This record gives sequence, C-alpha cells and structure tokens, in this order.
Amino acid sequence: MSRDNSSFSLWKGVDRKAMAVAEFTMKQQRKRLSTWVIFGVGFAAMAILTMFYIDGMVRDYDPIDNDGDSIDTDGDGYPNGQEIVYGTDIYNENSHPGLLNPSVEPDDPSLWIDEDDFDWDALEAGSHGYDDDGDCRTDARTDSQKDSNNNGIPCDVRMVNALYGDGIAIEGDTNVDEDPDDAAYARESIHRASILALGKFGFVFLIGIFVPLFMATGLIRNEMTSGTMHFMLAKPIARTEVFLYRMLGFLALAWPYVTVLLLLEVIVFGLAGPSEGFFRLQDLGVWFSIWLAALLAILVYGMLFCMLGVMWKHGIILSLPFAAWELGMILTTLGAPDASILRFSVIGWAMNIVDAGAALTWTDTPLMIEMGMWFDSGASESLQGAEALQIFASTPGLGLGALATIVVSVIVLLFQAASCWFLGGVLFKSKEIE
Amino acid sequence: MIPDVSQQGASAHTPPPANPQAPVVYFQGVSKTYGRIHALSNITLGLSGGVTGILGMNGAGKSTLFKLLMGKLRPSSGEVKLFGVNPWKNPAPYARVGFVPEHEKMHDWMTALDFVSTFARLHGMTRDEATDEAMRVLEFVGLGEVANKEIGRFSKGMRQRTKIAHALVNDPDLIILDEPLQGCDPLARTTIMNVIRELGKMGRTVLVSSHILSEIERITEQIIILHHGKLVALGNLHAIRERLDQIPHTIRLVGTDARALAKDILGHPAVYGLSFPNDHELLIQTYHFGELHAELPGLIVNNGHDVSEIDNPDDDLESLLNYLTGGSS
Repeated sequence: MSRDNSSFSLWKGVDRKAMAVAEFTMKQQRKRLSTWVIFGVGFAAMAILTMFYIDGMVRDYDPIDNDGDSIDTDGDGYPNGQEIVYGTDIYNENSHPGLLNPSVEPDDPSLWIDEDDFDWDALEAGSHGYDDDGDCRTDARTDSQKDSNNNGIPCDVRMVNALYGDGIAIEGDTNVDEDPDDAAYARESIHRASILALGKFGFVFLIGIFVPLFMATGLIRNEMTSGTMHFMLAKPIARTEVFLYRMLGFLALAWPYVTVLLLLEVIVFGLAGPSEGFFRLQDLGVWFSIWLAALLAILVYGMLFCMLGVMWKHGIILSLPFAAWELGMILTTLGAPDASILRFSVIGWAMNIVDAGAALTWTDTPLMIEMGMWFDSGASESLQGAEALQIFASTPGLGLGALATIVVSVIVLLFQAASCWFLGGVLFKSKEIE
Repeated sequence: MIPDVSQQGASAHTPPPANPQAPVVYFQGVSKTYGRIHALSNITLGLSGGVTGILGMNGAGKSTLFKLLMGKLRPSSGEVKLFGVNPWKNPAPYARVGFVPEHEKMHDWMTALDFVSTFARLHGMTRDEATDEAMRVLEFVGLGEVANKEIGRFSKGMRQRTKIAHALVNDPDLIILDEPLQGCDPLARTTIMNVIRELGKMGRTVLVSSHILSEIERITEQIIILHHGKLVALGNLHAIRERLDQIPHTIRLVGTDARALAKDILGHPAVYGLSFPNDHELLIQTYHFGELHAELPGLIVNNGHDVSEIDNPDDDLESLLNYLTGGSS
C-alpha cells in the first residue's frame, strides 16, 4: 500500500474523509421519512404553482376591442373603424362608406378587433409606432389631428426621456397602436411573470429556505443531542471538517432535488409557453439563473441554519426569524430592488441573479411592461398580464450591468456561505459534547 | 480471532502526532466543574500500557474522565494530554485511539459492516480497505455472521460489540471503553471481557470503566477508583482487597439444610458469627474473608453438603468505597 507523508496522500486522506462523511450523511437523510415528506411537500407546492400557470396558458383570452371601433354606433352596418378610415359620420346612419363612389362593402366587425398592434422598436427615445389600421393616417383627418403629440411626425408614438427619474415618457398620436393583440400579449407576459414568480418565490424562497430549514438545522445538532456524534468525533477529524462534510452530504441530496424539480418545470413551461415551434427555448437563460440562485440559496441557508443548530439546541427557533426576515426582503426586492437594506439579506443577492438573468435573456421585458401600462389611463385598463409582469420583473438592483451583477452576487453569496461555515466551525469547536 | 496486527497497522496508521516518550494518558491536576458541581476534582495520573479498570458509582466521574480524554469536554483547570497532545485542541491523536462511548443510541439504520467501515474511512482508509478492516474487527468481536444485518435489530450485547468493533478498526494503541458490559447478557459479557483481555495481551493500553467490582475483577487487577469526582485509589486490586480483608465481612450461603451446614462451619477459626434468615440461608460473619473464602468450598464438599449459591453481599464496590473513604461516603 502506498501511503507516505506526501501532501498528495494527505489530500487523498482528506478526500476520503469527506466522501465518507458526505456519503454517510446522504444515506442517513435518505433513510429519514422527514426528508421525503419535505421533498414531497416541495414538489406539491411547485405543482400547485404550475397549475396556476397552466390555467393562464390554456384559457381563452377574448380579444378585446380596446378602441371600440368594431362597434357600429349608428347601426348602418359599418363598424366605426371603417367609417373613420373613409371619413363618414359614425353617428349618422345615412353616412357610411357604402354611399361613396365606388361603394365599399361593410367589414366584418371582428376585423376591427386587435387590428392595430404595437410597432415599437425598443424602449428608447424617438419616434415609434405605425398605424396599422389606417384610422389615424386617413385623409379625412387634418394634419394637426394626426399629430396630437406635437412632435411634427403624424401618426406615431413619441418616447421622451422622463422629466424626473430615468424612465421614459410615452405620448402617442390618437388612433396609433391603440388595439393590440390582447391574447398574445397576455400569454407572453403571464408566461414571463409566472417563470419569475415560480423562480423567485417557489425555487429560491420556498425550496431555498425550507429544505435547508428542515434538513440542515439538525445536521450537527441532532447528532449532538442523540449522542451519536461521539462516534464521529472519536476519529481523527476536525470539527470544522465534520461541519463541512455534513453540509456536502446535505447538498448532494438537496441540489439534485432542486435540479430535477427545476428541469420538470423547464419542460412544462417549454411545452405550454407561447412559442412558434414545439418547444419554447428562449427562456433557458432565465431558468439557468433561477437554478444558480436556488443552488446558492440552499448553500447559504444550509450553512446558516446548520450553524444556528450548533449554536443552540433549538436552532430551528433561531432560524425562523431569519426566514421571516428573508420573506420581508424578497417582498422588498419586488418593489424596491435597489434598496440598500437588501444587502443584509441572502435573498436580495439571489434575486439579483434571477433579475439579471431575466434582463439578459428577455431584453424587451421593460418595453412589454410599458406597452401594457400605456393603456392604464382613466378611460381604459392596462393590458391583461402587464401588472403581473410589472410585479415580478425587477431591474437588477446593484446598478451594474447584468453580467457584473451576477458575478458580484455569486461572490457575495459564496462569501456568506463561507462566513457561516467559519462561524459554525468555531462554535462547534467550542461546544462541549455530553 | 486475533486481528493481524502487522496488517492492520499498515493500512490504518498515520504517523504518531507527538513524541513517543509521552505517556499515553496524562492528567495533571484536572478538575471539571459544572457550575457548583464538581464532576472531577484535581485528578493527576499517567498511564501507559496494560488494562486499567476505572471503578466508580454512577456519577463518580468516569465518563467525564473519558470525555476529557476524548476532547469532548474542556477541563475547568489542569492539563489533559493524550499521547502528549491536548485533545481539546487537536484531534490528531485519535488516529491511535478507539473509543466506545456509553451512549446507547446508535445509527440503527446502518448495518454493522456499514457502521464500522464508514467510521473506518475517517482514518483515511479507502472504501475497500475500510470494508476489509471492518469485517476483520467484526469477526474479532464475534459478529462476523451478522455483519450485514441492521444495528436496529441487534440485542444490547451485539450493539456493544459493534461499538467495540468500531473502536478497534484503526488498530488503536489506546482503547477506552465506557461501561461496555452494561446491560449485556452473560454470553456477551464473556465475549467482551475476552476481547478486552486479548487487547491487553496484545500490549495495548486499555481503559475500561464499570460500577461493578466483580466485572472489573475478571478483567484486570490494575484499577483506579473514582468517588464523587475524586481519585480515591489507584493500584493493584488485590493489594487493596488484602486490606479490605481485615474488616468484618459477610458470606451468604444458600443450601438445602442451613443448620447442618452451620454446625460444620462454626468450628472454623475465621468465623465469629452465624445467622439464619430462613431454613435455606446461612449468613457467616468473618474477619478473615480471603482465608475463609478460599477454604469454604473444600469444607462444603468434604462434609457432603448441598449448597446452591455462595456470594458475598459486602464484597461490592460500595463496601470497598466505604472502607477506602473511612465510611464517609
């Protein structure tokens, strides 16, 4: 047998210990009913959230006539939109395009629903939009009527930098982009909002906190309480090693679990989501960032809760305020992703990763939100799905680029995990074990 | 039965962490207090080699002594050294130690082989090495046949032997057994005692605790007696007993005819009193316990008496402690 004093064999020894403890921990957790209850509950929770999403995808969205021009106000058989294009009076049944020369046949009213979709290139200052249905461009209207936003360009949508803050103010000419495809918009925005909601609340928060809460808090503490820790600590292994290797065993179970759960969701969302082809591929970047954030959340919370378990035999009671704090913080990330209090949380950094991943993958999300919200005036409501998307999508809060945000957040989370390990190790080393 | 020492050493040993001259076990003025309770007071002792029995009533400080040695507890004062190293700070000496804790709780979901080999791997063995070593020690403690059964289905004695196997898997130089015989059936007791004696013969340092004098007596002569956290005696059990012989002692006989028995025994010079709790029982008072105890069997056989039981109710730890502490305990 080739065992000598070289550093290589020292590393091998460490490696073997790590494997032994991690394997032991995995087997131990697998043998516990509670592990499978937790995994089952996690699966059920995800399934319920997914059902809401499926419902959002399969249900019919009635096309909405946002501008009301499919209506035939005067009852002459011509929808208002058609009358406007031909310059006839929508309030007078004796004035309609059929009386013109040449005579025009009346349109089916459904042609005047969802007939003027968005034609915006990006959420950038400048002239956007196109009057698809021609009810702005019609010769029957004067030039000043065509340019109600006063930018000198008839029948467009003007975007200007907002006077206050760094947003964009949108001013459209009347009758431009005023009747979009509501169902398409709703499906796309609800799809995106659902991925973000499921990723943030389902994977990073629910799974990320509760799986470690129930599985990692007792990693060291349970063994200390039952006395079985004596067997392990009678061996030449440092307690900080025990702490780390037990965590490895926990991660070896929790990480594959969350990965499998996430893959299932990727498949469901890929098949059910709005897409040209059979499978929707364009969300994979977001799923990847959710996966990364969930893995790191499980790592940090695992280290944290295991440390709290070492600190006090009712460590789970110490963990609960943390979980409550994190809930407060994730709600904060929705409204104020750049709040500096989020730096003092785990979830704030994890959310940064998800938001940055979403910003990289779906570059047009802010544009979509603005499109939907543009309708939110006194007269009409915002488009269906716009509010959901606005709630769950946030700009990454660090004020850096998306990639830089991910890198910084990953480093911070790893640092948090290492700190908890260090603290946990110090606490464990100072504990007397009866 | 005996593990092959040379082979075990080759796979399990890491280099000794400290200077080889250091005593295996060393306590210098060690006290351990919990608030105002003194679990151990001012213990000083050094041990190297041989089997040593730690005797003491429940709560005398036996487990505390072991836990200090195993780095589970930190001494309130004084110095503990294991192979010359402070075990609270450094787990390295455990490469040469096997510890059998008193705790009953084990990993019941594991098989004995899994249990022993998993912890063997913490000595840096590969999976295969660990399995081989585990199998060897399980056979050594007589559990070879049930190595693949779950510990949860084991009897108390089998569980104790599994714990001992776990402690022996690294071929340790020092073996610490905390109440290894507690709750075991007679067969398991005998096996465990044999194992301990065997280890002693192999030149290992063995520390074994018990609160039953007769158990320790069957294992070793070298004893340490702890009482209320204090070290009250250290040395050869027989030497301590010699002195104990000189104080009044009771021997209890159970037979078919206690009065006939009494007639033949009354003449012995060591006897100073007899009593009959009932027709079948005879209590003999003596000042020379050792002498009488040696001659009694001959006396009974020569006179053709039918005696089913001989025991000495005074010859237990309590009387010994009473004597050693001058009756203050």
